[in-house]
Amino acid sequence: MSGPGTVFRETSAQPATKSVPFSHLSLELGHLYMEDFVEGPDRLRGHFAAVRPWVDAARAGVGSLPAGKRPRISTCFLIDDYFSRLSTPAELIPPLLAAAAEAGLTIDYLARESGCAVSQPGRRDRAELAESVLHRLVESPPPGSNGFRPPVSRTGWLTNGRRAPSGRTSAALDATGAVWEPPSETGARGHSVFMDVELWSGPEDERTWSCAFLASVWQLVRLGLLRDNGEPVLTPAPWDAKEFPAEWDALPPVVRLNPLAAPFTAYATCSILPARFLPVEHAVRVILDQVHVEPEALRQVTVRSQGEGITVPAAVVDRTSYVFPPGL
Amino acid sequence: MGAPGKTTDAVLACGEVRTCLLPTREAVDQQVAERLLRLRADEPVRVSKRPNRYAVSPDVLTGVDCRLPTANGSKVRAVGTVTSRAALVEGRVLQATAYFSAPAGGPDRRRPWGYYLVRPGVLVPIGKVSPRAVAEGFLTRHHQDELDVGSIAEGQLSRISRLLADSFDPPLTTTDTRVRWAASPASDGDEPPLRFTVAEDGLRTLDLRLPPGTAPAAAAALCEDLALHDWLLTTVVDKLDGLRLGSADGKAALKVLRPLVDHLLHLWLPKARVERPLEALWDALEQEPGFSRQWETQVRRVRDQLLLQAILTQREALGASLTTS
Repeated sequence: MSGPGTVFRETSAQPATKSVPFSHLSLELGHLYMEDFVEGPDRLRGHFAAVRPWVDAARAGVGSLPAGKRPRISTCFLIDDYFSRLSTPAELIPPLLAAAAEAGLTIDYLARESGCAVSQPGRRDRAELAESVLHRLVESPPPGSNGFRPPVSRTGWLTNGRRAPSGRTSAALDATGAVWEPPSETGARGHSVFMDVELWSGPEDERTWSCAFLASVWQLVRLGLLRDNGEPVLTPAPWDAKEFPAEWDALPPVVRLNPLAAPFTAYATCSILPARFLPVEHAVRVILDQVHVEPEALRQVTVRSQGEGITVPAAVVDRTSYVFPPGL
Repeated sequence: MGAPGKTTDAVLACGEVRTCLLPTREAVDQQVAERLLRLRADEPVRVSKRPNRYAVSPDVLTGVDCRLPTANGSKVRAVGTVTSRAALVEGRVLQATAYFSAPAGGPDRRRPWGYYLVRPGVLVPIGKVSPRAVAEGFLTRHHQDELDVGSIAEGQLSRISRLLADSFDPPLTTTDTRVRWAASPASDGDEPPLRFTVAEDGLRTLDLRLPPGTAPAAAAALCEDLALHDWLLTTVVDKLDGLRLGSADGKAALKVLRPLVDHLLHLWLPKARVERPLEALWDALEQEPGFSRQWETQVRRVRDQLLLQAILTQREALGASLTTS
């Protein structure tokens, strides 16, 4: 045991958690499916034109900082290279950056969605991020839970309440007289909005992670709350070249395109997304509400933000915000 | 744990430690220990080699929302997380602990889950609780619908057992023990700092009064240490109980005594990972009933018997060679 009077210490018994730099806000400039990119430059121009006013609103919304402080805001964009790869980085990225620039926007950091799922290329010693987050889920217990419930890792589904009991659902056909019971949302205000989120599909050794689960990992990465054995994860790699590779895997999971950008990780996130992602983001909130983040990573945020005179919400899910603008 | 007062301070910590022999033929090395205790890919198993070999898993949280046991039968609902972990001592003895701490009061209704997740290992009561009533209830009664930290600890043990399914081959049979403990801050009164009760079926209860400000994790570590040594003592006493040492058949006795020497006798090391302010509680147990005193007596008995057997065997061999020559 260690204490103030400790004369003997073993580093393997007390691992250290490295810290990361923090912006005030990580602003996500939209999210598109591969199919959207295929539609061409007009589709991209329309996207960023619709995003633009809300970027200004989000910047203004950072609120008052202590005198003399400028808000540190970094922008990011996540490309889905996990579920489909219709195009190459060389073909896809330059038009994307050009369309953003036309709307007067700069993408500071570009990330690949598969970076949230698999280990970093060339770093086989690193754990899969999604897998690590899965093992950090602590299910919200419905009333009556006294310590025994099958862990989520076995079922692959996560809810915001209690499922309807399984069995026959037609009271008319049920000879035992059992009647249907509804599912319920834990902590519902009056009536339930019950949600059951699929975290992955497929066999355990070749899981396909769900979009909702990867989006949760993405939020945690932006909030600077994930570590791999104490080391920061998905640290942005500088990218100065004008050209982009022909293979997605040749691109680091997160690249910094703007050398002057504020830090990628931030105290809070804001994501400007098309409304079709609303169900996914509801699922993200259900998941984030049940992730147990390493206490030392949380403590580092608290200490740093307090030093700046800024209050960061205690609950992780309260650090995320969204804009679902019209026309996106 | 702080003194009762501020509602956010813990006024109570309770838990259960389950101790058993790792069911493999030999003690496992550090590499295997790390594999068994690795619950998360992103967090290392903490290992220590001084003053003995020790490996402990990362903490795992389990969410609960249920009634707490109370001695006076009052209904107290609490919401939050129970911390659990598994540890291996010298690659030979496996321990699983589940514990929580609780403040004297909390919000009048359940808050969003995120509120509880940033308070790991804390059960927040809905309304107010009497810490003594919960501590006594936790130690003395168990009702089906109430909090069950024992099964959370058991979950850790069964997870490891599943990993060892192919190498199940314990070198000796032993009885598992459960130490259920409750700790409250010590007051100025002259209450004993600890009450250790040996009940049946491997159950022991431990009622602790700790210096105000003691971290729940430190209390849990003390209880793990006490549970380990109680288990060692229980196992050796059980093995010597009823053993016909004086009988002519020395081989039968040897069969029982040898595994004790091979696997257990070197494990006795009180206070290996106990915080200094809590060492006084160990000392209280050394006074009465005298854990180490009893252990030394038992160990001496095992050694004397083995020595005796060796002499007898030698004499037999000598006798045999004399008659054949």
